[in-house]
Amino acid sequence: MGAGVLNKTMPATVIAREGVKSATASRTRQMRRFAFWMASPAFVVLALLALPPTFGALWLAFQNRSLERAHSHWVGFANFYRLWRDYRFWNALEITGIWELITVLGAMVVALILGILLFEKVRGRTLNFVCLGLLLPILLPRIAAGLIWRFMLSPLMGVINYPFHLLGLQPIAFLDSPSTALYAIAMVDVWQWGLFFAVILVKAMQTLPKSPMEAAHLDGARVWQLHLFVNLPALRGTLITMLFVKAVESLRSFDLIYTMTTGGPGVATETLDLYAYQAGIGISGRISYAAAMSVLLMLTTTIIFSLTWKKTRKWR
Amino acid sequence: MAVKIRTAASVAIAAPLLFVALFPVIWAFLSSLKNLRDIVSPVPILIFKPTLANFATVLNTPAVQLGLTNSVVIVGSAVIIGVLFGWPAAYAVSRMKGRIKEEYQFFVLSIRFMPPVAVAIPFMALYMNLGINDTRLSLVLTYSLITISTIIWMSIPGFEGVPAEIQEAAELDGCSPLRVFLRVALPYALPSLVGGLLFTFVIVWNELLIALVLTAKNVTLPVVASSFSTLGMEVPWGVINASAMLLCVPPLIFIVMLMNFLNRFFKAKDIL
Repeated sequence: MGAGVLNKTMPATVIAREGVKSATASRTRQMRRFAFWMASPAFVVLALLALPPTFGALWLAFQNRSLERAHSHWVGFANFYRLWRDYRFWNALEITGIWELITVLGAMVVALILGILLFEKVRGRTLNFVCLGLLLPILLPRIAAGLIWRFMLSPLMGVINYPFHLLGLQPIAFLDSPSTALYAIAMVDVWQWGLFFAVILVKAMQTLPKSPMEAAHLDGARVWQLHLFVNLPALRGTLITMLFVKAVESLRSFDLIYTMTTGGPGVATETLDLYAYQAGIGISGRISYAAAMSVLLMLTTTIIFSLTWKKTRKWR
Repeated sequence: MAVKIRTAASVAIAAPLLFVALFPVIWAFLSSLKNLRDIVSPVPILIFKPTLANFATVLNTPAVQLGLTNSVVIVGSAVIIGVLFGWPAAYAVSRMKGRIKEEYQFFVLSIRFMPPVAVAIPFMALYMNLGINDTRLSLVLTYSLITISTIIWMSIPGFEGVPAEIQEAAELDGCSPLRVFLRVALPYALPSLVGGLLFTFVIVWNELLIALVLTAKNVTLPVVASSFSTLGMEVPWGVINASAMLLCVPPLIFIVMLMNFLNRFFKAKDIL
């Protein structure tokens, strides 16, 4: 408002301001051109590199390319038709779904419980120290985490089986039994991500303003009510982002599953990426068949994640 | 009294949590220093004569030496490419407004969504056609897709944290946009940019699936490590634990730096 008054009363200033305005306009134009040249190279490179996994994969999926022969020809929907009737593909789809569900839910539940517990009960330096420790598992390479836990879960010399040994019980071969293998691997995933998310939650809760919590506390709310109705709604953005990141990351669990069970026993832990890898490289070298699978995987994830990303924009 | 109870409760919660988080790593470390005889025991052995034989075995394996060289060269190149393309783009995005900004961010994010297996298999077919399959170049190219998109994504908050007033002041002093970027924004944002850089490095350093598909002889370290675990009946657990420990070294060096980065990231934006 002060500037408006000045404009009316002092003509000299008006002229000066007009000059500044046009200078600002030319700066904005210059800035726009500059931003274009800064952002374009990365865009072009990314777009070019994204061609093989998108259009290249689509093209391959309609061929009969294999590892042995470099030449291939058009086979229409044969690969997709074959997938439709492939028991192992449906199994992999189901395993992927279960894996996604238990790891995402597991990590979120563990993070919420531990995050609130730490925030309520542990303070100051102890809290910082614990947070640093809880970050260690996520910093381990997935392969290292897989190897470490495979050793600990081993039925004969694994330290996890030691209590059973003490009680005189039979050791449990967690990774060799179809009913427990997937859950044992998921436990390792939650060990890495749940603890990491707990730290994120604690850090996020520390940034929240204290007054709503104190007001609710004075009104006689219980601790769990405070968190459920005051803190968690305030952390909605962080929670949704965590959920989203975990859902994407859970689809990248090839390394963990590969090092722990290689998809076994049988096909009990064979997710879609493991089966695509086995079909394309491991057992049969049917590149086109694997490409058809990866096209389906790519389409599903892109559609689901794009929709959720755009839908949840207003909450983030 | 109340303080004592509170401290006790705090320790009662903190100690088991720390145990769960740290014990597996400590146990693997101890096992990497054991003879096979001490490892193959149903009763965990806590007191033993430590040996470095497992580490020696790992480091003297020719495949490990090749894998280490390849990993350093490939990951190093891919991260440098990621920085050269990613930082300018992230800065541009941080100064954009409205729809273009959103679309660009979404484009970058959608590349991060790509399932690795869907990236690896078509690239393998392409590289076989071009005759560059199983070369370092092929992995650097493929990893650039990951490094550029990740570095852009993680660097935008850092550049957005640069106060607009400083940049405008520099512009009014007659600095060109390029000078503002190089002399003002980049130095200011650097501490948080380094965090994103390390994060990207760790992601690519640990990558297994793409390397497994695209390489046969020119393997990277994760491929070598995973091959240890698929050795037949006589599982060399001491060697496996030693190689797991060696794999952990680069990320562990970064733990403090990453903690610092997380703190900064939260100040910049209330998003993961």
